[in-house]
Amino acid sequence: MKMPRYILKRLISVVPLLIGISLISFFVMHLAPGDPTALFVDPSVAPQELARIRANWGLDRPVFVQYFFWLKNAVRGDFGTAYILNRPVMQIIAERIPATLLLMGTSLFFILLIAVPLGVMSAYKKGGIFDNIVSVLSFAGMSIPSFWLALMLMLMFSVQFNLLPATGMGEGFADIARHLVLPVLTMVLIGFAGLTRYVRSGTIEVLRQNYIRAARAKGLPERTVLFKHALRNSLLPLITILGMTIPDLFAGAFIIETIFAWPGMGRLGVGAIFSRNYPLIMGVVFISSFLIIIGNLTADLLYSVADPRIRAGRKD
Amino acid sequence: MNKTIIIFLLSLTCFFGCAGNSPVKNNGTLVFTLGGDISVLNPILSSDTASSAVEGVVFSGLTKVNEYLDIIPDIAKSWTISKDGRIYTFYLRNDVYWHDGAKLTAYDAKFTFDSILDPKVNSVRRGDYIIDGTAIKFETRGPYIFRAVMPKPFAPFLSRVGMGILPKHLLEGKDINTSEFNSKPVGSGPFIFREWVSADRVVVEQNPRYYGGAPKLEKIVFRIIPDENSRFIALEAGQTDVCDIPAKDYSRAKAMKGVNIFEYESLLYVYLGLNQKKEIFSDKRVRKALAYATDKGQLIQLIFRGLASPAYSPMSPVGWTYDDNVEKYGFNVQNAKRLLDEAGWREGENGIREKDGKKLEFTILVNQGNKEREKAAVILQWQYKKIGVKVNVRVMEWSSLLRILNAKSGEKDFDAVIIGWSLGIDPDSYSIWHSSQYPLGLNFIAYSNKEVDRLLEEGRTTIDKTERKKIYGNIQKIIAEEQPYIFLWYPRSIVAVADRVGGLSKPGPAGLFVDIEKVYIKGNY
Repeated sequence: MKMPRYILKRLISVVPLLIGISLISFFVMHLAPGDPTALFVDPSVAPQELARIRANWGLDRPVFVQYFFWLKNAVRGDFGTAYILNRPVMQIIAERIPATLLLMGTSLFFILLIAVPLGVMSAYKKGGIFDNIVSVLSFAGMSIPSFWLALMLMLMFSVQFNLLPATGMGEGFADIARHLVLPVLTMVLIGFAGLTRYVRSGTIEVLRQNYIRAARAKGLPERTVLFKHALRNSLLPLITILGMTIPDLFAGAFIIETIFAWPGMGRLGVGAIFSRNYPLIMGVVFISSFLIIIGNLTADLLYSVADPRIRAGRKD
Repeated sequence: MNKTIIIFLLSLTCFFGCAGNSPVKNNGTLVFTLGGDISVLNPILSSDTASSAVEGVVFSGLTKVNEYLDIIPDIAKSWTISKDGRIYTFYLRNDVYWHDGAKLTAYDAKFTFDSILDPKVNSVRRGDYIIDGTAIKFETRGPYIFRAVMPKPFAPFLSRVGMGILPKHLLEGKDINTSEFNSKPVGSGPFIFREWVSADRVVVEQNPRYYGGAPKLEKIVFRIIPDENSRFIALEAGQTDVCDIPAKDYSRAKAMKGVNIFEYESLLYVYLGLNQKKEIFSDKRVRKALAYATDKGQLIQLIFRGLASPAYSPMSPVGWTYDDNVEKYGFNVQNAKRLLDEAGWREGENGIREKDGKKLEFTILVNQGNKEREKAAVILQWQYKKIGVKVNVRVMEWSSLLRILNAKSGEKDFDAVIIGWSLGIDPDSYSIWHSSQYPLGLNFIAYSNKEVDRLLEEGRTTIDKTERKKIYGNIQKIIAEEQPYIFLWYPRSIVAVADRVGGLSKPGPAGLFVDIEKVYIKGNY
């Protein structure tokens, strides 16, 4: 029963990691040229006014002093107020999280729904026509630029056939679902390829194992061999990948969000960087790093749950 | 296993099949597109066009601008200017109500302008109300008379009183920077704020108590669509009524059914600024030669497919002080070569001119992501090569570029830059051309001309319009003759509006929706 202690140890290590990440991000961010008042430049804005606003934001103080104050507040859960937007950083981020989770979660769900059966089937029929078709499709999916695919889908489904809305999120369940179709379709077409390849190679590996041969020798139907005996083991590497996908669920997808005007985190983060909105950048970086760490931890834990060999190994 | 795939495919088809299209448009609802996310819905804090678009219909100012860019009454029904040009007295309407029902008075106006002047409020507009270091004094004389007292006559003031007025009763004693008001604004304009879904849309509804009568539209939805191509597709798909059209899509938009295309010039110009502190550009003959060598027609053809106008002076042709009678330096390679010869720049190796062992070479900076300016830099590089001038192009990120232009001391480290100015409705361009605005200020090319300095000072203290027109005419003549900038083009706004939308104003720099309360959806009224 060393599990809880192991989890606790891992959780404690999160704290110094996060402090380290925030320190590095803070300084790197300030190393980049430019400052947040650059957005205001216009012939009628006096430079003294920009200097005054910069001072109001505390940007006239040395960077390490700024970091100290940021950290002091962050420890208390206060990530400050975003420049220009003038609202608390956490509130701005929270506004974007539902839309982001919806888009990324739905996409991931469909990617899994497609990638797992496709991967298993092409592994099973390795070298056959089905496998070849899936391979070609996967590589096509990986190679097509997402912005192009997105625009083509919009032209086809929104303009040509007038079936689906092209942009935005809509309101109400049915409307949001309709708005979700095209961005999710794009994400799935671009994203299924990678996972399919993983599942395929994992399954090929497993199908070569002796216990599969044994299962077949017992006379079990192919379906049972494939889906009951092989699948569980071939999905193990997938857990690691999914763990690493958790941060993406929150981070969003900048290009897809921009083209489909989806109000997600990707646009928020990239916008914050371009406008040098330091408190907002720090908020986004902090949350993403936290999720990456948690994602990895969850993957490790799930791994040991799914694979008794790993659990057994730890007891030694 | 086949069954699994079939079930999956079935579920997919259902997913698509269920999604029949019912356009969002309702009668009486106008859908606008905004290219950027909204920052903050408070007119004294925001400085982006997306926020201003929404504020424009939710808030009213003392004055507003009509389609000819004249300043006309809004909340103030009239005003007087004292003989010495120092005191502006505004007489307010007494039938203006805030969207929460309270009455709007001169105290709200005073509160708004005093808040802008408050150093703790992060308003970039503060400098607009400070003249040579002294703040304008704002006073009330009873609930409907508002006065502004200047330390000295200041003509651009009238163009700055159009600022949206804030409700004192909701904001007094609060921190304006972070108040919740900024995301749930209460104004006195023709439309009432309803909803803001971050990065997606803002919805406003008709204000039945608007002093000018209830607007004809029931609702306006501002949809935020950051990508230019997607905005156009949204228009094609009937998801929006209004959309700006980039030059590359002009013919596609023209061919579209159900939309009208409007073109008009804006108060914007784009130029190649030449750093006057650099030796080669301190010689007027070199600047003139570059002006002669610039084929503006070709630039506009190649970049905008002809959909822009050549610029020759630092004022926009739609501004009331524009004077067309300036030195234009029409495209003429022979003149350019002759001037360079006169200046002592002789043709050397590889056709590049030299003087005292130095090559006639300079670098143009442009900001990354601005495709038009990037193209312009490359075309100019090629045009100037023909007269023996070597041009290098350096594409930089916007903030890095600004850091160079805004360097506080010493010589600013650039030769030339392609950039643009968006002008206000007042012709005052003191901050761009006055020699005091270097090195700290917007005169980053270090232009310095005593006569222009004097005229700029005179222009902002003269109230009489005809006098001012003369003054700014002279400024244009001098600057156009001296060519500290090579003026390149005036961009043209191309806007598509669904033809179900009626009540538009005359196309012009103020846009098509100057009288938003008169806009309607055809067939509904």
